[in-house]
Amino acid sequence: MGSSEASGMQFGIFTVGDVTPDPTTGKAPTEAERIRATVAIARKAEEAGLDVFATGEHHNPPFVPSSPTTLLGYIAGQTERIILSTSTTLITTNDPVKIAEDFSVLQHLSGGRTDVMLGRGNTGPVYPWFGQDIRNALPLTVEHYGLLRRLWREEVVDWQGKLRTSLQGFTLAPRPLDNVPPFVWHASIRTPEVAELAAYFGDGFFANHIFWPTSHTQAMVELYRRRFEHYGHGTPEQAIVGLGGQAFMRRNSQDAVDEFRPYFDNAPVYGHGPSLEDFTALTPLTVGSPAQVVERTLGFRDYVGDYQRQLFLMDHAGLPLKTVLEQLDLLGEEVVPVLRQEFAVGRPAGVPAAPTHESLLRARTADEEPQTDSEDNPEAR
Amino acid sequence: MELRPLGHPIMDAMLTGVTADALESAFQAVAAADGIIAVTPAFNASFSGLFKSFFDVLPAQALSDMPVLIGATGGTERHSLVLEHALRPMFSYLHAIVSPRAVYAATSDFGSQAGPALGERIATAAADFARLLRACGPRARRDLVDEDLASIQQLLGGETGGS
Repeated sequence: MGSSEASGMQFGIFTVGDVTPDPTTGKAPTEAERIRATVAIARKAEEAGLDVFATGEHHNPPFVPSSPTTLLGYIAGQTERIILSTSTTLITTNDPVKIAEDFSVLQHLSGGRTDVMLGRGNTGPVYPWFGQDIRNALPLTVEHYGLLRRLWREEVVDWQGKLRTSLQGFTLAPRPLDNVPPFVWHASIRTPEVAELAAYFGDGFFANHIFWPTSHTQAMVELYRRRFEHYGHGTPEQAIVGLGGQAFMRRNSQDAVDEFRPYFDNAPVYGHGPSLEDFTALTPLTVGSPAQVVERTLGFRDYVGDYQRQLFLMDHAGLPLKTVLEQLDLLGEEVVPVLRQEFAVGRPAGVPAAPTHESLLRARTADEEPQTDSEDNPEAR
Repeated sequence: MELRPLGHPIMDAMLTGVTADALESAFQAVAAADGIIAVTPAFNASFSGLFKSFFDVLPAQALSDMPVLIGATGGTERHSLVLEHALRPMFSYLHAIVSPRAVYAATSDFGSQAGPALGERIATAAADFARLLRACGPRARRDLVDEDLASIQQLLGGETGGS
C-alpha cells in the first residue's frame, strides 16, 4: 500500500465479467471457467503490484458476476493487500439494506480492503426482476443511497421513503469495520446526475471514460468538481476522481495491434462499429507498447486534473486467461511503476490521496480529537 | 452540411454510441443554428436511410423549437407527398417548427422545358420560411445538463442524508 500512498493514486483493473467466445478459436469458456479465471486475474493483479480489483454486477447472460460480494469475499481470502471494489453495484435494483450488510461483511473479511462503486444500471429488463421499474431509476438512486448512507452511519435507523418499506429501529449487523463506512464512488458513463449526486455527498466520482469521447468525460468531471465545491466539501482540486481506461500491450506495438484486432472487431459492445484506429483516436483505448500506454494515461490528467484512481479494463471480449495474465504482468512491471512516479511529479500538495480504510479511519480519529490546528482535512467527511 | 462524408461516423454512433469529431461538429452546428433547411432524396416512399439515421443519432432536443424548411428530390413528382407523410411528421415529433410550405423537385424540374416553376416554388417557400424565422427570432439555447440536474437537485433537496 506504501506505493499508492506515496503517489496519491491507486491503479487497478475492473472487469465486466463477460463470457465471450475467443474470436480466434470460436471457443467460449464455461461459466465456471470464467469465474475461476476472474479469481486468477484478481490474484495476479495483487501479485503484479496493482492496488484495486473491481468487478461488475450483471444479472443476464453472457455475464457471470451476479453476486459480487460472494466473488470478492472469496478473493479477499486469497489475497492480502489489494482493495476489492465493484464496477458497479446497482443502487437501483439492489435493496440498500442488503448492500449495507454485504459490504459490511466484506469489509470485516478483507480487513478494510473494501470500497464500493455505485451505478444505476441501464439494462431495462433487470429492474422488474428485482421488483423495480427503470422509470424510477433516478428517484430509486437518490432514495436508496440516502438510506444506505444512514445504515452505515447511524446505530439505530428509523426511515421512511416512497419506494421501499419503512424501517423502525433497524440496526445494521455487522456494523461497518471500525465504524468507518466503505468509501463510495459514484460511476457514470454519460449521466450528469451521477456527478451531481457524488458532489452533493462529497463522495468519489468515477467516469467510465471508455465508451465516450474524452470531451464528455472532461465535461462531467468539471461539473463534479465545481459542484463538490458548491456543496462545501472543499476546493474543486480536493474532489475525488477516478477514471476508466483500456489497453492492450505487446513490447512491439504492431504486434499488439495485430493480436488485439480480432478481439476488438468482435467485441460485444463496440465490435462491428468503428475501426480500431478510429476508436483508439476517439476513446482512451490504447493498443501498443507499454510506453504508449504510459504516455496516453499520463495525458488523462490534462483534461480531468490530478486524480485518485485509474482502473483498466483488461479481460473482456474473449481474451484468453493466459493473455490477460501477460497483460497484467506488463501493466505491473512496465506501466504502473512509471505512472506512479510520473503522476507524483507536479502533483499539488492540496490534492488528496486516494481514500483507503486506513486514511478514512485516521481522518475520523483526527476529527474526533480536539483540533490542534486549523488545517483543512479534505477526508474528514 | 453534406451527410455523405458523415456516413461512417453516423453508423458508428448508431452501433456503439461513439461520436467522431466530425459528427460532433455537425451536431454542434445544428444546435447552434437559428433554423435549418433539411433536404433528402425520396427513397422507397420515404426519406433516405442516411438522412433518417442522422436524426436518429442527433442528441435529443437538438431540434426542439427549431424552425425547419423541408425539401426533397425524386425521380417523379408522384412521390412529392413524401414531404407531408415522412419528413413533416418526423420533424413535428422532434418538436421542430416546420414551415408550412415544403419544396419538392423532380426530374421534370431540371428538364429543358422546365421553365421557372421550381424557382418560383423555392422563392415562395423561402419567403414563408423567412417570415417564420423573423417571427421566431434568435433561438433560445437549452442547457440540457442544467435541465437534467434540476430533477436530481429537487430529489436531493428532499433527501436528509446529506451533509
